[in-house]
Amino acid sequence: MIHATTLQTMSALDGFTQTKPASTAAGLGWRQPHYAELLEKRPALGFLEVHSENFFGQGGAALAVLERGRCEYPISLHGVGLSLGSAAGIDTWHLDQLAHLVERCDPVRVSDHASFARGWAAGAAVHAADLLPLPFTREALQVLCSNVQRVQDRLQRPLLVENLSAYLQWSVQPGESLDEPEFLANLAQSSGCGLLIDVNNIYVNALNAQLSGHCPDPVAACKRWLDRIPAACVGELHLAGHCRVNDGHGEIVIDDHGSRICSEVWDLYCHALTRFGAVPTLIEWDTDVPPLAVLLDEVAYANALAAQTWRVAA
Amino acid sequence: MSALAEQQQALLNALFAWPADVAEASLLRLAEGVGSRPGRGLQAYQANGHALAERALQSAYPVLAQLMGQDGFADLARAFWHAKPPQRGDIAQWGGGLPEFVRQSAQLHEVPYLGDVAGLEWALHQSATAADGAAELGSLALLTQHEPQTLSFDCVPGWCVVRSRWPVVSIWQAHQEGGPAFDDVATLVRQQVAEDAVVWRSAFKPLVRQALPGEAALLDALQSGHSLASALAMADDLDFSQWLPLAVQTGLVLRVVPWPSTSLGEPT
Repeated sequence: MIHATTLQTMSALDGFTQTKPASTAAGLGWRQPHYAELLEKRPALGFLEVHSENFFGQGGAALAVLERGRCEYPISLHGVGLSLGSAAGIDTWHLDQLAHLVERCDPVRVSDHASFARGWAAGAAVHAADLLPLPFTREALQVLCSNVQRVQDRLQRPLLVENLSAYLQWSVQPGESLDEPEFLANLAQSSGCGLLIDVNNIYVNALNAQLSGHCPDPVAACKRWLDRIPAACVGELHLAGHCRVNDGHGEIVIDDHGSRICSEVWDLYCHALTRFGAVPTLIEWDTDVPPLAVLLDEVAYANALAAQTWRVAA
Repeated sequence: MSALAEQQQALLNALFAWPADVAEASLLRLAEGVGSRPGRGLQAYQANGHALAERALQSAYPVLAQLMGQDGFADLARAFWHAKPPQRGDIAQWGGGLPEFVRQSAQLHEVPYLGDVAGLEWALHQSATAADGAAELGSLALLTQHEPQTLSFDCVPGWCVVRSRWPVVSIWQAHQEGGPAFDDVATLVRQQVAEDAVVWRSAFKPLVRQALPGEAALLDALQSGHSLASALAMADDLDFSQWLPLAVQTGLVLRVVPWPSTSLGEPT
């Protein structure tokens, strides 16, 4: 059982400076298979996270369920479609839908990704419905900041922006590009947004860099990555599982949110807790969604790790 | 075009062009996929797009998917993904063009009712997220107090009539629990029995039934802004005394309203 091992590792941790008590219980990504069961059982959770776009309709069952969930838990709206880094800008329709939803459910947090999906292909406007990577250039940073500011102005609240699992690396001339932590720190500083740090995404990127021959020690690389993020900017942490695919196209690690969180990511989570303090943590599981009890077990473990972190700190 | 716009267009081209060889080569001059091979990362994005396309269309078109079979539907989803890519960041909005895409498909000409079945399913998909509506049964009293040329009906948001030269309602119902037998529906298809469908939502449940004689004409006329009297004149097949209780009890009609609601008067 990886959890006990990781807890022992946690006990041995020292040297961190975090002294804030854990004030926020972990939350859960609330998906359709668990809509009814969660409302019936009402387990103790810090918050519920939902994908904003799943509730863009004007009415219907999904919105009614969200309304009920909102009566029991704080809601965190996590978007996957704003395309914050698009050179083509933000889709006004999408922003209108999100603004309406924010007004309707008054979420504790609103977030999306440092990615793009909107643009032009073969002369037509398209949205790739995916989280496509940005180059970490000054130009991309400027576009991202501008789009984030437009969203924040419309929503009248700060946005959290999440780091990606990226399966492409843009080729840019040396000196033209920042590295990812620097890019995100600049984004937060320039736009006033917060950062949503997905610990699993950092690890997936490091594993893929290892496959490409660029990263001999993925866990150490991830810790260095986390150490370069300004703690004050971090508003939420995400944890999820990933999978390794090896087929006729080659080998790659995919951030599929389809399994338990691995021991290395739990270790990195502990490192993040010591760096960032008591920030809300989300357990995500979107593929092959398991019984609710499995998700609650992951939530309980995240809470236990956080509690142990603060005990050690005290 | 800025460097960023050029990079983004190169990746989008590599995802949506079909075949993608040229676009892939262009992209890989600007970027390198992660993983054990340079193109592995791009393939991951392409595969994700295809899987998402199939999943999204399966959700909106479950009966079409059954009619076509898993492999045929997957091929259709992939072809549609490349021909008519999403334009919005809410994938549930994507797919409204599939009925026409199916009708225009040379490969599917031998199954000519598929496009109409798809049209019915898209109407159901749309109604699921339409605005909620509340019935005002007290307003029915207006029917006894005023002449029909001064009244109209408000129907539930998201309702629509789907007209077809094929037995689309029977085909759809045959794929639901307790629906008609496939053999019986096959007979209707051979005879090319036309069926108009009424689609609406009762509480949170999207519903479909075959339109009563004259009902489609009545609903179309009301939607076009005609008074009840004028709409009834266009639906002389309709048994109003049968239709009204059904429409009210099942939540299709929410209320009776004064007509005209504006000073524009009756459409000509």
